[in-house]
Amino acid sequence: MNDLVVVGEGLTGLFAAWLAAKRGARTTLIAYGRGGLELSSGCLHLASGASPRLGITSSRLPHPYALVGVGTVFRAIQALFDLLEASSLPYSGSLDTNLLLPTAAGETIAAAFAPHSLARSDLAEHGPMTIAGLTGFRDFDAALASRRLADRLERSIATVDLPLPGPAPRRDLYATDLARRFEDPHWREETCRAWKPQLIGVRKLGLPAVLGLRRHAVVLQAIEEALELTVFEIPTLPPCVPGLRLETVLREACLAAGVDVLEGAKAVGRVDGRGSSARASGVVAMAAGGPQLHDAGAVLLATGDLLHGGLVAQQNGLIRESVFDLPVVHNANRATWTSPHAADPQPYASFGVRVDASMHPLDDRGEPLLPNLYAAGGLLAGARRTDEGSRQGVALSTAWRAVEAALP
Amino acid sequence: MTHPTPALTADLCLKCNICTAACPVAAVTDLFPGPKAVGPQAQRFRHPRLPSPDASVAWCSGCGTCTRVCPHGVAIAEINIQAKARLTEEHRPPLRDHVISRPEWLGFAGSLAAPIVNPILRIGAARWALEKVLRIDRHAPMPPFARRTLRARMSQRCVSSPPAEASNVVAYYHGCSTNYYEPELGEKAIAVLERLGCSVILPPQRCCGLPLQSNGFFPAARRQASTNIRLLHPYARAGIPIVGTSTSCTLALKHDYRTILGVGGEAADAVAQGTFDIFEFLATRLEAALDHVDFAPVEATALYHPPCQLKSHFMGTPALRVLRRIPGLKIVLSQSECCGIAGTYGLKHEKFAVAQAVGQGLFRQTAESGADYVLSDSETCRWWIEQHAGHTVVHPIELLARSMRLA
Repeated sequence: MNDLVVVGEGLTGLFAAWLAAKRGARTTLIAYGRGGLELSSGCLHLASGASPRLGITSSRLPHPYALVGVGTVFRAIQALFDLLEASSLPYSGSLDTNLLLPTAAGETIAAAFAPHSLARSDLAEHGPMTIAGLTGFRDFDAALASRRLADRLERSIATVDLPLPGPAPRRDLYATDLARRFEDPHWREETCRAWKPQLIGVRKLGLPAVLGLRRHAVVLQAIEEALELTVFEIPTLPPCVPGLRLETVLREACLAAGVDVLEGAKAVGRVDGRGSSARASGVVAMAAGGPQLHDAGAVLLATGDLLHGGLVAQQNGLIRESVFDLPVVHNANRATWTSPHAADPQPYASFGVRVDASMHPLDDRGEPLLPNLYAAGGLLAGARRTDEGSRQGVALSTAWRAVEAALP
Repeated sequence: MTHPTPALTADLCLKCNICTAACPVAAVTDLFPGPKAVGPQAQRFRHPRLPSPDASVAWCSGCGTCTRVCPHGVAIAEINIQAKARLTEEHRPPLRDHVISRPEWLGFAGSLAAPIVNPILRIGAARWALEKVLRIDRHAPMPPFARRTLRARMSQRCVSSPPAEASNVVAYYHGCSTNYYEPELGEKAIAVLERLGCSVILPPQRCCGLPLQSNGFFPAARRQASTNIRLLHPYARAGIPIVGTSTSCTLALKHDYRTILGVGGEAADAVAQGTFDIFEFLATRLEAALDHVDFAPVEATALYHPPCQLKSHFMGTPALRVLRRIPGLKIVLSQSECCGIAGTYGLKHEKFAVAQAVGQGLFRQTAESGADYVLSDSETCRWWIEQHAGHTVVHPIELLARSMRLA
């Protein structure tokens, strides 16, 4: 029998499963496909505004930050940093000020922490920079990014088009294609030789985030040495390489810690007993041959929000949780779910499962539904994670708290 | 999860490219546009009565990684294998594809003529000729045929109907590779099951048909599927588990028959639900028996590569759960999605280089790991890794048998 079954393979699920296995718990992670990390920039957003620390400490109930306590937020982030440091994927940033990072669309985004290669693009530093496009790579438009950034920041940003050596590709290139090529030292050296004459006088160069996957740190250092300048990365359209790097580190940490990672199966919650003696007995995975029970001492739902499969909307406007059919805090009038403008705060983004301080999902009267069922991350109500810039902070801190509560 | 109509799932695609990022073939060649592009995206341009618009789906190796990682329920690999079958219908496939799709015929003839055929297959000139005539790459692995098949060695266990009153009976689906190439593996698997209190029989069975399916010969593959369902249904109906050591064969019984070939119905469902990969069976049905085994320590490092086909069972990696019981054994996990061979894909001369490139990371990891054992649950993966990494590769059941003092 499992000590813990975690459902979901995003930041919340992977982090929780890794924490649990590190404590010696027999852990299975069940995922219906891979999670949102591959679509994310790999940055850790804790709270927007000038100071992430202030954003976290000023959160009030029922915000998950207030439920878990500030100390938990900081401990969770520290645990992740230790892993990233040991995995040669170091992050930088601070709790006191947000980094202001450029996006591929020429917007800016605030993040407390980012991979080194992204953090170096902090726009609070005012030195000159050049943004490069790569010939034939259509998922990144350097001219668009630099023009919009220059307008926004009222400073001039140069652009350059850099060639990719070798025969023209026979199809569109994905960011992952280039990231893999940059891991090949011969191709990388040839590329740097071809670029160098075009980069005379450039001191800081922004490239689309394609500088290696698993060996990113080595690739980045080699390129900077060959070009003799500072290089930063700008995240691209999905598949987004910095997010993929973070996911790879976490999944491999899970596997190394002994987590049984089960991908591809939809999970259905199973409850034994009735009334006050009811318990979550595990999760039924829809495997290739048929349903398969994974019994567990505790179950942690890390399935995400309406966009990630944790919540399912019905045509009548009712929204339910997708694994245990839990009640969801929402407005059943569909007309109120969205704002007229896409960039405005979206009401649907705050729908979710209400939990107590131990991350137990609650019923309508505020009582825990099942004593050994937990929920964390994007599935939770009480946060407007996109608007307030707290997505990863909520994921990490509630995952930490749920594991602590589930495995005392 | 079984998708009744793979093509209909194309509309669930959000174009997120998670499948493309994970695809081992698109990672190494620009000849393949990637699973999303040839799958849900190209599906809109395919019509049952019009010719296939694009042949690049032929570069799909059929490993199934895309379906497993898709978060939106698109049966990408299934769409692609069905599109490949359309290509086979439209273009006359080479003789080679007919030959490599029929391991049962090859195995039958090869084991009869093993003393003659095995030495010939070791001659470089013979392999060169095979490459010129049949376009089977001369460097592709071709293991020797066994002189005596598993069924011949175990003829007393070959039964034609389910036994009436034995308990803990297990029906062993050995598949072609164990019967004709690796009968010792079958003997060890049977020994392990017996030590754990099962009584093992060899029901009548035919090739699962997966090589036919992968090469696009759907009508012939459906005949194999129907035959196997007819032969195995009585056991499934009697509650006798069907256990296999070849993870791609068991996946065919569980999933491919119903979802890819469209051979459904009550009997197909019963066979699918009654079929187990051997480690799945050990981990889910024989845990209590395993608790009573006194495993001998194996002070060694094992590199485990779970095959794509195993991961497509959507059951995780049960072998790890069982192998972790062996004292002293240190297990290192493969960092590669796929070894490259993907059944018969890597045998083909025109695909060989791509298949080899897919496996590079694993071959490097194998060489650098210094592992005492390299483990993989699928025969073609074992032969392929062995050939390229120069390291003996065994089924994990062999290591378990050793720790159970059965080998």
